[in-house]
Amino acid sequence: MAEHAHAPAAVVHEHEEHDHKPHGWKRWVYATNHKDIGTMYLVFSGLMFLIGGSFAMVIRAELFKPGMQLVDPQLFNSMTTMHALFMIFGAVMPAWTGLANWLIPMQIGAPDMALPRLNNMSFWILPFAFTLLFCTLFVPGGAPAGGWTMYAPLFVQTGDAFPMTIFAIHMMGASSILGAINVIVTIMNMRAKGMGLLRMPLFVWTWLITAFLLIAAMPVLAGAVTMLLTDHYFGTTFFAATGGGDPIMFQHIFWFFGHPEVYILILPAFGVVSEIIPTFSRKPLFGYETMVYATASIGFLSFIVWAHHMFVTGIPLAGQLFFMLSTMLIAVPTGVKVFNWTATMYKGSLSFEPPMLFALGFLFMFTIGGFSGLMLALVPADYEYHGTYFVVAHFHYVLVPGAVFAIMGAVYYWLPKWCGNMYDMRLAKWHFWLSAIFVNVLFFPQHFLGLAGMPRRIPDYPVQFTDWNMVSSLGGFAFGLSQFLFPYIIWKCIRSGERATGRVWESAHGLEWELPSPAPYHSWGEPPSEALIARGAAH
Amino acid sequence: MDAAPHRIEIAPNCSLSVKGALLFFGGTCFGSLGVAGTMASLGLWPVLPFAGLEMVLLAWALKVSLARRRNSQTITICDRDILVESRTGSRCVQVVFPRHWAQVKLRHPASRLSPSRLVIESHGRQCEVGDFLTEEERRGLAARLSRMIGRINESPTLA
Repeated sequence: MAEHAHAPAAVVHEHEEHDHKPHGWKRWVYATNHKDIGTMYLVFSGLMFLIGGSFAMVIRAELFKPGMQLVDPQLFNSMTTMHALFMIFGAVMPAWTGLANWLIPMQIGAPDMALPRLNNMSFWILPFAFTLLFCTLFVPGGAPAGGWTMYAPLFVQTGDAFPMTIFAIHMMGASSILGAINVIVTIMNMRAKGMGLLRMPLFVWTWLITAFLLIAAMPVLAGAVTMLLTDHYFGTTFFAATGGGDPIMFQHIFWFFGHPEVYILILPAFGVVSEIIPTFSRKPLFGYETMVYATASIGFLSFIVWAHHMFVTGIPLAGQLFFMLSTMLIAVPTGVKVFNWTATMYKGSLSFEPPMLFALGFLFMFTIGGFSGLMLALVPADYEYHGTYFVVAHFHYVLVPGAVFAIMGAVYYWLPKWCGNMYDMRLAKWHFWLSAIFVNVLFFPQHFLGLAGMPRRIPDYPVQFTDWNMVSSLGGFAFGLSQFLFPYIIWKCIRSGERATGRVWESAHGLEWELPSPAPYHSWGEPPSEALIARGAAH
Repeated sequence: MDAAPHRIEIAPNCSLSVKGALLFFGGTCFGSLGVAGTMASLGLWPVLPFAGLEMVLLAWALKVSLARRRNSQTITICDRDILVESRTGSRCVQVVFPRHWAQVKLRHPASRLSPSRLVIESHGRQCEVGDFLTEEERRGLAARLSRMIGRINESPTLA
């Protein structure tokens, strides 16, 4: 808009003036404001963490000692499947979409997301999808138990839960695609004047690349599960060898989706860490542009590595070599990122507030997960590790102290901006240290179990694995309990606390910090000036 | 002597050009449909309709978002008259109001899903302005216009 003013004047109002902030339940059901929708996504994600986490507790309780303790094998396998589906599609992905909703418009100087009603719809699909999935626990045959990978023909044998699960996955995919399209259009078309692509904060960049991954990968998942459905109900044989189909082909297309999915879960975490570390190092991010290119490289490479999940299916030697080398290649841009974060901290004036602690926890432990990933990329080694607890340890190191720690760090970083109050730093530090200690007690022993040969997805095991399983379960219970601090800290912060300043953290850069705390319901009604953008983009 | 006319130009901010959008959409189609086409060539044709549907949705989203850039309005306020020129693409509609008898109204929506509406009206005629603005922007514009136009039977001095 060329010019306008905010001085009070004699505007004729046809109704009572109000703050344009709807109240009551309609505010949430009809929400089109990006902050409201972001909040709903984050609350939903928290709820899914709780449910998915409780499934994990059942798993760890059953594995506390050898023999059958609490659940039968069918329910045990349902727990592993449901835990994965709830955590991946219900907890981590919606958490990133929630953060995207809250932050992207504020960070690029846009008043809202490009398509607010589509935004509302993409959120409200999720509760229906997960209610449907949760209900599978109570249908004949039980919840899906074939693993989140849904391999044919095993998964096709699921009972009444089968079509419900497929429909729920379709809804989750539709929600993700709508969210991704909204993010892409917002970033491409709603940036304020002066907010060039290479001035965007890294969180925005990583989300843009994540949205492209979603767009490319989600139709493949939708197609794959639809083919499962038609194989089950309509007599097709896409994955049934009896009719000329190929069950291994399901694995190919699942992992063609599944590996980019891993990066969908972790790329926004790279963005968050790239925002937090410079703030608490009091230095600009080292190598901003290389971070952007590294993220794009990781995004591209994620589409040409899928068969490393399938080395033991007997793919040809040339294929094994290609997928081994392409997988190892991902270590290069990832290494660039780790180097840049470390270089940002080098000679910085570091302080260790909770967001920085979570970012550092991410840096150390995600790197552990990355290294075990490199081990799994080696074909001969993978023949030994495949299907063992070593793989479980690897991907949990990437996803829990990786993605989940980054989400927690992001919440601790931007929470004062959202609610206008500072939170209890001491409790938040306790939350970090308890999480950091117990996440290692939980997952590190699983490396040993895997290397010793303990297979994954089994409810019982030989007694030789007892000790480390007990340690892992104790770590799991303690980690789970310590997470109750998180909602308490947030609740306490919303209700009270020292008033936060606009900038909150003295060295924070970015447009969102130019807004007051809490951020106004409608932010950037007047686009930010180019000078403000230039100041915010001090990479 | 008449004061110099005041011009307020309002246009939505669009950071993406049409050419940029086409290139972007073409590239995305190439990637997504390329993947789906490869899958279809391997016999996994159900991937293709999902990818196609997704691209249709992306095209719609871009079109809706880009439609913003075709809209603009110029409000020219001089001593006697208010001229509102509304442009949608090549179409331009001009409406003239006598300033002394015109007033600015900000109509709050009956439903919270709908935006407010800002109109300039006089003698039973009205013209909506700033329908593509955000609520905040629209309220700011309403305040500014009211200062310059005043109530019915008022003609505030134009600075």
